[in-house]
Amino acid sequence: MVVAGDLPLSDFSVGASFAGNEVVLSLTGEVDALTAPEFGAFFETMIDRGHGAVVLDLAGLRFMDASGLAVISHGAARLAAAGGSLQIRTPAALIRKMLELTGFSALLQRDGERDLESVLAVASGSSGLAQDTRHFTGIYSGSEAVDGALRLAVTLAHAVVGGADGVSVSLRRLGKLSTVAATDETISHMDANQYETGEGPCVDASTEGHWFHAASLDDETRWPAFTPRALSLGIRSILSSPLRVQDRPVGALNIYSRTPLAFTQSGQEMAALFATETSSILKGIETEVGDEHLSLRLRGALRTREVIAQAQGVLMERDGMAERAAYAALRRSSLDDGSPLQERAAEVVMSTRRSQFRPDDDRA
Amino acid sequence: MTTVPDDVAGDHPVDVLDAFRRGADLSHGELWLRYFELGGMSTGLELEAYLFGALRPSRHDHDVIAHALNERFVELGGNHPVPYADDGSDSDDDDAAAAAT
Repeated sequence: MVVAGDLPLSDFSVGASFAGNEVVLSLTGEVDALTAPEFGAFFETMIDRGHGAVVLDLAGLRFMDASGLAVISHGAARLAAAGGSLQIRTPAALIRKMLELTGFSALLQRDGERDLESVLAVASGSSGLAQDTRHFTGIYSGSEAVDGALRLAVTLAHAVVGGADGVSVSLRRLGKLSTVAATDETISHMDANQYETGEGPCVDASTEGHWFHAASLDDETRWPAFTPRALSLGIRSILSSPLRVQDRPVGALNIYSRTPLAFTQSGQEMAALFATETSSILKGIETEVGDEHLSLRLRGALRTREVIAQAQGVLMERDGMAERAAYAALRRSSLDDGSPLQERAAEVVMSTRRSQFRPDDDRA
Repeated sequence: MTTVPDDVAGDHPVDVLDAFRRGADLSHGELWLRYFELGGMSTGLELEAYLFGALRPSRHDHDVIAHALNERFVELGGNHPVPYADDGSDSDDDDAAAAAT
């Protein structure tokens, strides 16, 4: 049986099709802070109605941020508790990367050989190449997917660690600590106060690589410059856990509370768990960025495409060839002398070095 | 190394392309990357569909795939066994990817 339950929302819609106990939710558009609640409501309704097997088809999604991941996380936990199952199907590259970074990859329908392609290619054929390329660069420069993953980490830690009123992640970049994700502005200020005074649990955890717990700032003596600032912002206890990459401390996961003695044993254990998770997100980035097979190859591939396109342009302009014919000419000359097409293309481009390239028509 | 069929010409079932891929010892992902590098515009899934004959590539796409495979065969010390659809006689502008100007 197939029923469509379309729910048109701002730039987001969900379609549902049912087969017995299984429901496939097909998401299109963007899931962000604005649309995540609707997605959540729809997802929850399906679980409430007793659908034990939920499949999320993300092929039509262009974007999803941490709020969307939080909905998935919550739904996955509910389904798991009820003995149900969740599968995630055909996510676009960026979303897939975020799911992998945040440990949801086990929910993905996997196929080993397709994996590289999935990371690189956008599964949905609908989006244009320009958009695909934006996604790639977003991933391997680490920005979008990483930020999303870290935001998710602080959001989840805030929701899960008992006593937490705010959470942040500080990272040391170029020798300086900075806040890369925080649940709200007060929390960012708390971090900034520590960077400015050069002291506090966050600074110490990031430097010394073990955790610092200020159980009650009212009685705290270790950080005389910072503590009054924290109290003035209403913070009474802090738990900072180090983030490590390759056994080096690189930052801290900071959990703040307005209540003294807020962090119980189990809260502390959860914090440690989140710090480990966050470290592994960072580790993932590190290997991603350092991974020759992905980032260097992809960068090279993009560069090569550029050179080939330039060479086509040269042949089109110089010899009056059509686009396809120019490509075929490059290909044939590559076959004729056994050198790769990209080398032939580079030679064609170089041959014009003396003359001026047509300036690009840049718009201001 | 696996063998490569050499009975390929003209209107053959396209899954022969996938046999070439296996012969060239390339994963689908690696071939896609090489195809992309050479200017291919199709997604990884579309490429797989071409390889297995589920979708018919344009002549140009077919030739980009063929060339990616042939360059690989040359790397492996062979010649270039994969035939091209466009032998240079004529161009075939089959897809309108010229929008981005």
